[in-house]
Amino acid sequence: MAAYWNRLSVGSRALLVIVPALLVVGAILTVGIALLLPPLLGFLGANIPLVRFVGAATAIIVMTIPIAFVIIFMELKVIAAMNLRVGPDRVGPYGTFMSVVHGLKVLAKEDFTPRGVDVPIFTMAPIVVFASIPLTLLVIPFAPGLFGQDFNIGLLYFFAIGGMSVVGLMMAGWASFNKYSLLGALRAAAQVISYELPLTLSVVGIIILAGTMSLNSIVQQQAGSLLDWNIWKQPLGFIIFFIAATAEANRTPLDMTEADQELVAGFATEYSGMRFGFFFFAEYVNVFVVSALSAVLFFGGWNAPFDWPFPVTLSLDPGGLGLGLVFLVALAPVVGTIVLGLPFWLLSSRVSTLKALVIGFILFNLLIVGAFLGWAFVSAAWVSGLVWMMLKTFIFVFIFVQMRATLPRVRVDQLMNFAWKWLLPAALLNIFVTAIAVSIVATR
Amino acid sequence: MDRAFRTLVERTFGDLLTGPVRQRHDETEMRIRPGDVPQVMRTLHDDPALRFEYLGDLAGVDTGDDFQVVYHLYSVVTPDWLRVVADGIPRDQPRIPSITFLWKGAEWMEREAYDMFGLVFEGNRDLRRIYMPDDFVSFPLRKDFHLPDDASRSPGGGVRPMEDAATPADAAATTVRRSATAP
Amino acid sequence: MTTPTRPSLDDPSLTIPLEHAGIFEPIPLARTERQQEFYALKDGEMLLNMGPQHPSTHGVLRVVLKISDEQVVDLDPVLGYLHRGVEKIAENSDFHHIISQLDPLEYVSSLFCEWSPVMSFEKLLDVQVPRRAEYIRVLTGELNRIASHMLFLGWYALDLGGITPILWSFAERDEIVEMLAAITGAKLLFNYFRIGGVNGDLNHEFMSRLGDWMSRAGAQLDAGMGLLNANEIFVRRARGLGVLDRETALRMCTTGPNLRASGVPFDIRRAHPYSVYPELDFEIPTRSEGDSLARYLLRMDEVRQSLRIIDQCLHQMPDGPVMARLPRLLRPRPGRAYSAVEGPRGQYSCYAMSDGTDQPFRLRIHDPSFLHLQLVGLLMPGNLIADTMAIMASLDPVMGGVDK
Repeated sequence: MAAYWNRLSVGSRALLVIVPALLVVGAILTVGIALLLPPLLGFLGANIPLVRFVGAATAIIVMTIPIAFVIIFMELKVIAAMNLRVGPDRVGPYGTFMSVVHGLKVLAKEDFTPRGVDVPIFTMAPIVVFASIPLTLLVIPFAPGLFGQDFNIGLLYFFAIGGMSVVGLMMAGWASFNKYSLLGALRAAAQVISYELPLTLSVVGIIILAGTMSLNSIVQQQAGSLLDWNIWKQPLGFIIFFIAATAEANRTPLDMTEADQELVAGFATEYSGMRFGFFFFAEYVNVFVVSALSAVLFFGGWNAPFDWPFPVTLSLDPGGLGLGLVFLVALAPVVGTIVLGLPFWLLSSRVSTLKALVIGFILFNLLIVGAFLGWAFVSAAWVSGLVWMMLKTFIFVFIFVQMRATLPRVRVDQLMNFAWKWLLPAALLNIFVTAIAVSIVATR
Repeated sequence: MDRAFRTLVERTFGDLLTGPVRQRHDETEMRIRPGDVPQVMRTLHDDPALRFEYLGDLAGVDTGDDFQVVYHLYSVVTPDWLRVVADGIPRDQPRIPSITFLWKGAEWMEREAYDMFGLVFEGNRDLRRIYMPDDFVSFPLRKDFHLPDDASRSPGGGVRPMEDAATPADAAATTVRRSATAP
Repeated sequence: MTTPTRPSLDDPSLTIPLEHAGIFEPIPLARTERQQEFYALKDGEMLLNMGPQHPSTHGVLRVVLKISDEQVVDLDPVLGYLHRGVEKIAENSDFHHIISQLDPLEYVSSLFCEWSPVMSFEKLLDVQVPRRAEYIRVLTGELNRIASHMLFLGWYALDLGGITPILWSFAERDEIVEMLAAITGAKLLFNYFRIGGVNGDLNHEFMSRLGDWMSRAGAQLDAGMGLLNANEIFVRRARGLGVLDRETALRMCTTGPNLRASGVPFDIRRAHPYSVYPELDFEIPTRSEGDSLARYLLRMDEVRQSLRIIDQCLHQMPDGPVMARLPRLLRPRPGRAYSAVEGPRGQYSCYAMSDGTDQPFRLRIHDPSFLHLQLVGLLMPGNLIADTMAIMASLDPVMGGVDK
């Protein structure tokens, strides 16, 4: 037996081991699933909210990755354009993969723990910061039916969970065993707590108007056209909200906590590798979250600013085509490729036949994808809602990025003065005026 | 050259001058004893006829025999630079009064002169090394400074192994030389 | 080999005891009166070490800040990280050689580091510099002044947290250094002035670039300043920050824009004219506020005056040689010479002593940054950490010049 085994090649030996093992594992799994699946499905079916929550939480944490990458890329490119630079243009088309490469770089770096730090807290701090920010995405309605959870205390949940990030910053600053980190953390605590007040108070006007704290309901109440948005009813509230949100998201000109010209990197001074990455992931996701909330609260969320001027009713019934459908599916790519490639082949002698066909194929695909998306936009409400929501959100993200490139940083005492002497009274004034207006309208 | 200014300086300071007032190009040079520096500087600074409010430079000089401290002053009364040379500071007692009571800004220039020449400015509140490390023991701009000797005597470093390999001429007798063969 | 004589200083607090000099042993901190005062911490105060690896300490400066909360109580700059001992190097190299050694002192305006030593060597040698060479010196010097002030503009904004102005001003600066590179061959350390003239005449590339740039320099400058001057955050941070009054400025030996921003119209180009400045028509801008904003605005005013000077230089420049005829080996008569020029940061001066050989007996380089950095210790206390860098940047020290 041993002699026979020794004559076998490596591949054969592997095969001889793996195939029986797979068979055994497969058998066990089959039996196990057959036995366990029905009760599991029964359990899940009985607890749909739990399934929904787990699914939503997972989706949200996964969603943060493309969001952060897109915002980082935007920041690289937009700031470069404002700085008379080109920005990244080597990694991927127009440098689009630059942020991915940044992420890989951060992953590959040494995860360094300096001597003297409080190790458990030092390790936990980035997790706390990173966990708190994406969880706020849970209540944001992206489109009709497309939201994690529709709490009736959605707004409260948002600020409660969002305020948790400062705990993480404090942990990072305190545990780092570094005076710069400590100063950054203390600034973070002072700043975030000071700005939490006007931030929360600025949306009280909207809560009064809407009568609910559910973000979904707030968006639904803004349905209609551009003129139904809350921005017209709460202009002062929006200004306060935006300024306070800038501070809350630690963005220039209010990024006291990591003022690199003063405090090196603030609370993140001693962090390296992916722990540092988590802080910055959280920061960029926070920018997105804050922008999304601005859009939801003041700019109608997923509501379109105007009704689609050309009402299209697509009543496609593929079954009506009968056998023609088969021909369409089979021939359309070929015909489309040839028809779209033909002009290039005819107009330029430098384009070879093969190249013309490739161009035609790409164009055909683009056309089909565009047509499909257009169809989805027109016919599915959640697609158009998502498009409008993302458009509004990224306009705010763009403003945040642009502010970072334009404005110098304010001093920390000016920041605090501004919060307590101007923003807070203005927010209170906003609440009073709104309340009085609402009561007048209600009594009439 | 401002001849009138020369007579003004000669008339004002008279006995305090240790040499003739020399002039060349746009400079007027007067020599004084180091002990007279505060008195002369105060007169130059405060006298309404002189008004030397502006201290251009303070430099230590090692002439090889003794030290000098050279001040360059500017005033609106003359187009010349006034050079005041405090001459003949002995090598074994390199002391000179500080002028920080008039120009606080001279503090660092005096620190530099201390760092480079070992000149002790009496009255300077912060006379310590400024460029060289705190544990450096010799004074690099002196004419008798010899890099392998002097730098290697600074245990804090500042010397390269090549320079360290040269035995100091006056190596202390306590230096233990380790060798394979016992003498 | 002679034994070096050591000063037997009878005051033990001023000597450095050898037994404390080991690298791993703590160096006794409190020695001088000032140090004792500085390192005596009261309750609630802590020391914060800023630099030399801090992102905005303009090179390698280390500042020990004594802070109480976020307020700076006192500070102690620690220098010497860039110290090359250029005065010692100069004593061992011949007169032509020294010029290239002096370039890296103030690396953002290196023509001025060359100018004053070259002038003092010319005084030692009694050399008459050709008029065309003087005009070229003034022209290139003023260009370099603009380049340096542009860098200041960017740095200052950067230290206040604005990231765009530095790139806008670098675009400007880049055009100037490209121009200078056309005649000097270098973009940073020009090594262009020679004893008795300059190294090479103006060439076509320089003139075409200069003419091209002059036609739009004013507009570009306004665009760069527009980012800051109309910015409420910037103005509110800079106004009233680090106020330096007239008497203190004179007592602290301040020079250049920092002195003029405090209301003293002292400019060596007018006070003690050199080169061809008496023939040129320009103003000495002065401001009386003495704060950071005044220092910034004054520098920007100076850029406008420099543009005027450049314009006049181009119109008045005579023809002729650009180098005096000199022997290759220079042996000046024994003597002393002092010369000072007004650079972008203030008075760059040089005191040269010759003993008749081809090497200077003593060369003293005086750099304005050195004294301006000293001012930080005076202006900082009472301000917040955030303003440490803002004040330091408004004084515009360059560590290469500070550390020599």
